[in-house]
Amino acid sequence: MMGKIKRYIKVLRELVRIRFQNLMMFRLGFFGPFFVDGSLFAVQLVVFDAVYSNVDRIGSWGRGEMILFIGTFSFINAVNMVIYFFGVNDIPAKIKSGQMDLYLTKPISPLFYITLERINPGSVPLVLMSICIIVYGAKDLGIAISGGKLAGYLIWLVFMIVLYYEMEIIIRSVPFYLVSNAKLEQLEEAGIDLCMKLPGIAFYGIYKLIFYCILPYGIMATLPVQTLLGEMSLCKAVHGLAIFMIFTGITMFIWKKGVRHYNSASS
Amino acid sequence: MNIIETKNLTKTYRRFIKPEGLRGSIKSLWNREYVEKTAIKDFDFTMEEGELIGLIGPNGAGKTTLTKMFTGIIAPTSGEINVLGYYPNDLRNQFKKQYAVVMGQKSQLFYELTVNDTLRLFKEIYGLEERQFQASKAYFTELFEVKDLMDVQVRTLSLGERMKMELIAALLHSPKILFLDEPTIGLDAIAAGQIRRFLSEVNRDRKTSIILTSHYMEDIKALCSRCLVLSHGSKLYDGGTGELFERYRRNKKITVTFSIRADGIELPSYVQILKKTPDKLILQVPKERAGGILSELMHYSPVDVTVEEDEIGVVVERIYREELEETQEKNHGTKEKKAISDADGGVWE
Repeated sequence: MMGKIKRYIKVLRELVRIRFQNLMMFRLGFFGPFFVDGSLFAVQLVVFDAVYSNVDRIGSWGRGEMILFIGTFSFINAVNMVIYFFGVNDIPAKIKSGQMDLYLTKPISPLFYITLERINPGSVPLVLMSICIIVYGAKDLGIAISGGKLAGYLIWLVFMIVLYYEMEIIIRSVPFYLVSNAKLEQLEEAGIDLCMKLPGIAFYGIYKLIFYCILPYGIMATLPVQTLLGEMSLCKAVHGLAIFMIFTGITMFIWKKGVRHYNSASS
Repeated sequence: MNIIETKNLTKTYRRFIKPEGLRGSIKSLWNREYVEKTAIKDFDFTMEEGELIGLIGPNGAGKTTLTKMFTGIIAPTSGEINVLGYYPNDLRNQFKKQYAVVMGQKSQLFYELTVNDTLRLFKEIYGLEERQFQASKAYFTELFEVKDLMDVQVRTLSLGERMKMELIAALLHSPKILFLDEPTIGLDAIAAGQIRRFLSEVNRDRKTSIILTSHYMEDIKALCSRCLVLSHGSKLYDGGTGELFERYRRNKKITVTFSIRADGIELPSYVQILKKTPDKLILQVPKERAGGILSELMHYSPVDVTVEEDEIGVVVERIYREELEETQEKNHGTKEKKAISDADGGVWE
């Protein structure tokens, strides 16, 4: 087992090195994303600022909690952009073009290879900016953050980053079975867009069912923030863990079945 | 020892049939029609360690499908398959470490980087020790004569150079079997010839078993002592490449140039005149009679004589056509026999 982990770490190191070398072949390609991603993030903050300067409260949360929420969702999204988004996003094209063949014939997990072959250092500033927002939000709230709360927050953050990844895999594995997943990607985009602006506590009834259980973007930043605020209950924790485990199972099932179902485009 | 064994291997694809026009499209929203296309049908095959086998067949014959089943990329619909003791579609890493696949139309190199960069990644993926990696790289760069190209951006390489690099990347971990799907596609005669020479050496020196899929009969003829002819998913021929060509290369083309006018030459009826000018004759003769015709022609003191084999394209066409006809006849015969035996059975009952 240790040997396997060591080998995967070595492969990861080599993938990162290759990606950096690849990006550095073109100076604009390397420096451009830092500027573009940073600008997009700034625009997003301006929108949030405009919205929340006119709204006092959402549910039981005020300005400080919302800053914390926005920072946390941005952090999850930024980690996604840095580590796996660009790799995972290529899966449908690889299935349709038959390029998946090359990944399936290598003695390494094809999902690991695809996920990590296109890391994006251009989004690292977003991670840093998100951390700044989280720190600012915590200060604005003036709450005392204990070690336990911080640890809980970080653990939920890891779970939710993985859940975000799993949602991307599920949606992008659809072309193993059907011709196109374009509409599902639009649905994903709309869900993320909404849940990035509204915390999970704002949803009720059918919307809560949708964004807590079916497209669980509603819990992604909400649960870590609730932990940090001391609003986490056993029921919420069990729900969060259950969703995480169910989606992990679904992802593994869909991916493994998909690989077996793969028919490969003709040469 | 057999390293590949298949029995009744079959692969069937399902194809959606859309009725013509808008009405057909609307109808297909509710009621979809599919037809099954059998890419490989009841395929029995064994391959021994160290063999170099050629797979030939027209487009859609099932060559690539077969290679994809051997490598586990796709799963068979039915039948048995065993490659190096594994069921390929289990996609076990231990199995994948023992073979390599090169697809002429799919590159595994990073275009913007150098081959050395890609090889470093493959070293880690295959878990090679540094010493083993360096030794293998040195061997292949020398064999393929590409030492100077290892630090050049892949996208600046010619097609022939790139194919050599693809082969190095594939062979780096010393696979037991190498699957090659159209490795010489698009290459000029010199580059294709070099690739053939290298493959021959790899097979001989490294004892790497090779399955070569190609449309170019020159590849098969130059490299493979055994070949398989596929058509419509069925095996038409499995045997010696030399025998196959011997069987289907039936004519010789004789070009004779004379110093005098060649009007008065009388030729037997079995000789086909392809072209005739006052001082030149181009003839097609059954190969067993070529010697006799040549000695006849010598009486007219020719200044130049060229004897050529049947063109390879003609031979390939003949192989596909006649082998298919033969198989169909056999199947027809079997069906007739079966019908008679069924009828007999009916009588007995």
